[in-house]
Amino acid sequence: MSQDASDTRPRRHFLRTVIAVAGAAPLAPQQVAGAGIAALVAGSAAAADAPQAAGTPLQVGYACFSADEAAFVESMVNVMCPADQYTPNGVDCGLAIFIDRQLAGAYGQGAGRYMSGPWAPSKPQMGLQLPLTPAQFFSAGVAAANRQCQAQLGKTFDQLAPAEADAFLKDLSHGKIKDDELALVPWFNELMYPLFEQACFADPLYGGNHDKVFWKMVGYPGLPATHTLDMLDFRGKPYPGAQDPKSIIDFS
Amino acid sequence: MIKKLPKRTVVIIGGGLTAGLISRQLTSQGVDVLVLERGGDHAQGAEAKLPTQRDELRWDSRQGLVQRWNVQTYTLRHNRQDAAAPIRWMEAFLPGEGVGGAANHWNGHTWRWSEYEPTLRTHYINRYGKNAIPGNLTLQDWGVTYRELEPYHELFEKLFGISGQAGNINGQKHAGGNPFEAPRRGAYAQKPLITTQAGLQFTAAAQKLGYHPFPMPVANSSGPYTNPDGQKLGQCQYCGHCERFICEAQAKGTPDVLLYPMLKQRKGFELRLHAHVLGIDYDRNAQRVTGVRYIDVQSGQEYEQPADVVVLAAFTMTNNKLLLQDGIGQPYDPATGLGVVGKNFCYQTNSGVNLFFKDSWMNPFLATGGTAMCIDDFNNDNFDHTGLDFLGGGMISAAMYSGRPIKNRRLPPGTPQWGTAWKKASADWYAHSMSLGVQGSCYPNPENFLDLDPVYKDAYGQPLVRITFDWRANEEKMSAFVTRKMEDIAKTMGADIVGPAGPRKSPFDTRVYQTTHITGGTIMGADPHSSVVSPRLQHWDAQNLFVVGASVFVHNAGYNPTGPLAAMALRLGEDLADYVQRPRVLA
Repeated sequence: MSQDASDTRPRRHFLRTVIAVAGAAPLAPQQVAGAGIAALVAGSAAAADAPQAAGTPLQVGYACFSADEAAFVESMVNVMCPADQYTPNGVDCGLAIFIDRQLAGAYGQGAGRYMSGPWAPSKPQMGLQLPLTPAQFFSAGVAAANRQCQAQLGKTFDQLAPAEADAFLKDLSHGKIKDDELALVPWFNELMYPLFEQACFADPLYGGNHDKVFWKMVGYPGLPATHTLDMLDFRGKPYPGAQDPKSIIDFS
Repeated sequence: MIKKLPKRTVVIIGGGLTAGLISRQLTSQGVDVLVLERGGDHAQGAEAKLPTQRDELRWDSRQGLVQRWNVQTYTLRHNRQDAAAPIRWMEAFLPGEGVGGAANHWNGHTWRWSEYEPTLRTHYINRYGKNAIPGNLTLQDWGVTYRELEPYHELFEKLFGISGQAGNINGQKHAGGNPFEAPRRGAYAQKPLITTQAGLQFTAAAQKLGYHPFPMPVANSSGPYTNPDGQKLGQCQYCGHCERFICEAQAKGTPDVLLYPMLKQRKGFELRLHAHVLGIDYDRNAQRVTGVRYIDVQSGQEYEQPADVVVLAAFTMTNNKLLLQDGIGQPYDPATGLGVVGKNFCYQTNSGVNLFFKDSWMNPFLATGGTAMCIDDFNNDNFDHTGLDFLGGGMISAAMYSGRPIKNRRLPPGTPQWGTAWKKASADWYAHSMSLGVQGSCYPNPENFLDLDPVYKDAYGQPLVRITFDWRANEEKMSAFVTRKMEDIAKTMGADIVGPAGPRKSPFDTRVYQTTHITGGTIMGADPHSSVVSPRLQHWDAQNLFVVGASVFVHNAGYNPTGPLAAMALRLGEDLADYVQRPRVLA
């Protein structure tokens, strides 16, 4: 996990290499989930304090990401969740796996979304009006964001230094990056950002929030949550169970 | 081909709260009842058992218990000049599906509305003069009084084991309860829930300001409870998975716990699941309905179900849809003000503010859907509107409902959206923050209404309901006023940081959950020209068709709708037991 920050090998080259060999030999989890990306965060002074990922190993391999998409999401979650005194980096927290699994599954395939035409642009308050599933919207957005990144900075997003990548995401969120083909503001704020938050705070069952690291960070005790006595015993006091949260997995 | 089934005495459309209550009344008199519910039974599902019940992503973020928008959604335009767009994934309000309907995933808030609410028009004119109500507020009296509904409120609260603190028993005010509440005949069925830390701190500040805090009356059971029918509730576990969840502890008063299991044992009761009603058969000349048509979604077979009496007891939107689609009653026309179906569509005008206390452990996960301390001092017309340029108001509460961490993490203003500083703020403030909220009234406006969308269809090929709605001036001014009052309390509470208190403003946004309390469109009243159903909930244009639920509300108050709609359902059940013996226009 400790690649030199000066390692500037293109990220996608690394991934393609991994994917090329993936069929031939089993990989240690961390080789797939997050090895190359450590370059982005290794410069962070806080990284030395990062809690070690513990518990069951991360799931291995992506169900729907292309190599470019994997590179984009891994970079994104490591910028949004750098290794620091609170958590390991986003990839090691399972955030990319979570996003991949959600997009590959029912949510990404548009379960429950009304998909009948006719289609027309409308006001933001009406919600997205695109004949795309979330997974298709995701792919189109990665391509558009990389297109704009290349045009403005001469690199794809995964090749940016962490500070540059952070600024680029802020610009995406604030509508400062425009693409002729795709609306990047709703793409980032209404698709990617909720997935990021869910990846951090959903039950670890779904592949993110590895080892309940975000629940521990905020002090959410999780299950079983039978708190009748706690209501008085811990009203206005620190709750001991917050140190050792339990997930659905622990009761399954 | 459609298959015709044997006739039933009473057929109820929708297997939710009102249908359960009506069926209770009818079956106790031996009347034959068939309830048609489009969804299934949740009782043995992952949604109703540990550990899978405690899954924020599945039941909350992904709306596992909510109507499937791909099957049926709504279109929206803010003004009738605009083109409407279909809401492809709704967050603003969440109708349910399956036995119990939206009452499965409710939070349990159970109010008796103020004594003056059913006669609001008369009340305002009496208090502020004949010009009190501007022309663009289509307020009218409901044709019923609180006194008439009081016995049914009492019965519902006993059946659902409501936990609360009485503030007004037969006109005698009781400290610790709500001094503005309509007079009750006695205490609540159960003692109030345990107050949260947030509730204690709010109470102290509200008292300091001279307001009258009290615990919200709720259906989250403060203790083990057996109701008059012998049905039982467990004690609330304060698990923080209430709203949007089914209570696996059977500690929340819901129809699937207290009504349907009992009804299934009763002679003459049938609950038919997976039966999606497509229409009501209406004989315009005879001014009667003859039955309903539904599709069994598990076989694809369509059925005609004849009935002596049909009760439309679905969610507000479906009640409107079926009447509009089958041409029962005159659709409302905003251009002329004529017509009634779809008129007086209202939402609820809510706002909030976040508070951050370094030294207070708020522990948001020690909560239930009903752990709230409230004040009613600025609700509805509980305060003097003389000199104010709006009518209505809102209930202010310190509501701590859950610490589910995807959604319920409050962050101080200025916190970055990600990165180490974002994590630090999440870690610092998650257990040390709380919110105050306003649940505000929404009065009818001639430009807020429902009709059928001319373009978009549901999965059954039927038109979607089109919502024309926005926040109009009266609601924006009310929200600004009551939100300021809430902000004053927040500042009095001594928080280290008080977030910005944003009053509700146009445009109405479907991407943000606000409340599922949508009302109106099939409103009740004493005058057939200005209402869809009579004060007895009997359709003016079809004597044997009855409509029940929040769709009959003439306006929306700063209260949850469940209390009055449940009371009206119990009364309707009693009326119907009599009606089936002697069909007539009920006086």
